[in-house]
Amino acid sequence: MPLDRASLLSGALSAPSPHPVAPFAITAEPGRVLGLMGPPGSGLTRLALALLAEPSKTGMVAVVDVRGWLCPVAAWEVGIVPDRLVVVRCPDRSAWLRVTAALIEGFPAVYAEVPAGVCDADLRRLGALSRARRSALVLRPVAGDLPGGVLHLRVEADAVVWHGADRGHGALLQRRLTLRVSGKGVQGIPRTIELVDEGTRALPAISGSAVHAVG
Amino acid sequence: MARILCIWFPDWPLRRPDTPADRPAQVVDASGTVIAVTGDAHVLGARVGMHRREAEALAPAALTLVSDPGAEAVAFEPVALAIEDLVPRMEMVSPGLVYLPTAGAVRYYGSEDTLVGKVVAAVEAMAPGGRFGLADGPFAARMAAERAVAGPVIVADTAAFLAGLDIAAVGVAELVDTFRWLGIGTLGDLAGLPREAVASRFGPIGLEAHRIASGEDRVVHPRRIGEEVVVEERFDPPLDDVERAAFAARALAGRLLEAVAPTGAMPHRVEVEAEAATGVIRARTWRSSHPFSEVELAERVRWQLRAWVESGGVPGGVVRLRLVPADLSDRGRQLRLGEDAASESDARRALSRAQGLVGPDAVLQAIPQGGRDPGERVQWHRWGEEPEAAALDPKAPWPGRLPEPSPALVPPDPRPFEIEWDGGFPTRVRLGSRWEPVLGWAGPWRQTGRWWEGEAAADRYQVVTSAGAFLCEVREGRCWLVGVYD
Repeated sequence: MPLDRASLLSGALSAPSPHPVAPFAITAEPGRVLGLMGPPGSGLTRLALALLAEPSKTGMVAVVDVRGWLCPVAAWEVGIVPDRLVVVRCPDRSAWLRVTAALIEGFPAVYAEVPAGVCDADLRRLGALSRARRSALVLRPVAGDLPGGVLHLRVEADAVVWHGADRGHGALLQRRLTLRVSGKGVQGIPRTIELVDEGTRALPAISGSAVHAVG
Repeated sequence: MARILCIWFPDWPLRRPDTPADRPAQVVDASGTVIAVTGDAHVLGARVGMHRREAEALAPAALTLVSDPGAEAVAFEPVALAIEDLVPRMEMVSPGLVYLPTAGAVRYYGSEDTLVGKVVAAVEAMAPGGRFGLADGPFAARMAAERAVAGPVIVADTAAFLAGLDIAAVGVAELVDTFRWLGIGTLGDLAGLPREAVASRFGPIGLEAHRIASGEDRVVHPRRIGEEVVVEERFDPPLDDVERAAFAARALAGRLLEAVAPTGAMPHRVEVEAEAATGVIRARTWRSSHPFSEVELAERVRWQLRAWVESGGVPGGVVRLRLVPADLSDRGRQLRLGEDAASESDARRALSRAQGLVGPDAVLQAIPQGGRDPGERVQWHRWGEEPEAAALDPKAPWPGRLPEPSPALVPPDPRPFEIEWDGGFPTRVRLGSRWEPVLGWAGPWRQTGRWWEGEAAADRYQVVTSAGAFLCEVREGRCWLVGVYD
């Protein structure tokens, strides 16, 4: 008996499958640009530092700090050795492009905050440079957005939920980030992922089974 | 082995204007090791080579000063000039320690006694209290100088002199203990052992000790570098302030080591040559018992430039600076596993460029130090400079310290932060133009502050909203943002 189309579809949707979507990991890959979008507090700085932890095992990593707020304690907590991390403070927009370009040329991985008002053409140039130098580049605009063509993977913060602190007792312990990822890095299929971060080690969930795709 | 005259001022780091005359004092270097003590402090038990804490515990009344080799080099410059008037090829190790190869000078002045007499007279006229030792090789000369309390010591038979010295002169504590345990009490006992046996039992470090004990100093394997490696930099406008000099010194030191690195060789001796705007050329040789690292070399160049600039030795400023390496050994630095020289030099070049763009104060590295707030737990230092030892011990318990995870963003100065309270509980916080309800909070972690200096106590709270978690501080009824858990 032929199944009607509607029942087939609903069955397909409701049937539990062992691997609904293949596990997905956010990593900083050489020659790829990753964009992190979200306001301060959305948890992306720590995510960016965790992405640098892996390349920092074999070389130095650099951070371009636009506001001068970056606290290296968080970097040490996610597994970056103190003498492998260099922080370049660059509040000046005109110098930012040259500083970031210089760092891309010399470092295997760079996390750069992008000040407001950097033009798209300049960001594309940085993207091309990171491809040419095989350097992993993580960009985080302080305000506004990043142009689409530059990013290999675009990560937008959707929500952050902290556990541990209650009504005066406890302490921050664990957080759950909900991120929307899109771009070439996910074959153009946008999806939502959740990361669980204990804060003390390099994000265990980024490259493990704890990452599960939700959408 | 060349005859070497060693001139040593044991108390040179103490010869500074802020050393108190009426109370014991000690000088520590950047790593926290005592490098000089006054007589009073010595009586109390402080010794050179001790850790700062240990010395302070033994002599709590003593004042501890942190050494400033740059200023010491400036103070030493007149002495160096006086020596150079007599013997041109002087080698500086540090301000207050100098080696003179005497072969040519002895021929010129007639005898070793005459030469030493002239040097002593010239140096004593500039700065009394130096010790003079003449022997074969720098190590024996230094040992002779250490024993020259009552006047210059001229050692004729270096092997016999060394044989009578205590084994501690080797300078490696672990090795010394083992030697003593084996019944080797003097350098002579050690030199009497077959070299192969010492080398196979103790490895390269034992071999070096055996060489020193046998009077074969300076284990430099003279190597020829194909072309003369010389690095030079011209400055326009002339270099006349210490800050710029430090910057130039580091760049040039980096270039020199990069130039010799492909041969696997490292210099033990570097000649620093500077040309002043008026055409005066000054040169000074610095040496080290182990090959110079980039930081060490840059430091030496910086001290020397500072000494010349501040003593007026380079009128009009430096227009040309040149570094000439000598005594190269093949004991180049071995890279760690997974480290590669090309990537390291790439990173160095990138950071020098970044320094040129944003200034040396904006290219930073950090080391952990003790503290309660996340901002306090970081000790920043400029990239390329050796960090000072952390003043506050990160391993010590810090009651009231905030638990991990730490906020990833910490504003340089606390920002005003608006919180609405209800019965002592935070209910809403203002983020930009909107109010966010507080979903959860933890704290307070109380910091009592230096109440004896009138500092108010502060309470730190972790506040969780749907837009993220924040660390805030309530001090005297006002609320400040001190961290964002971003």
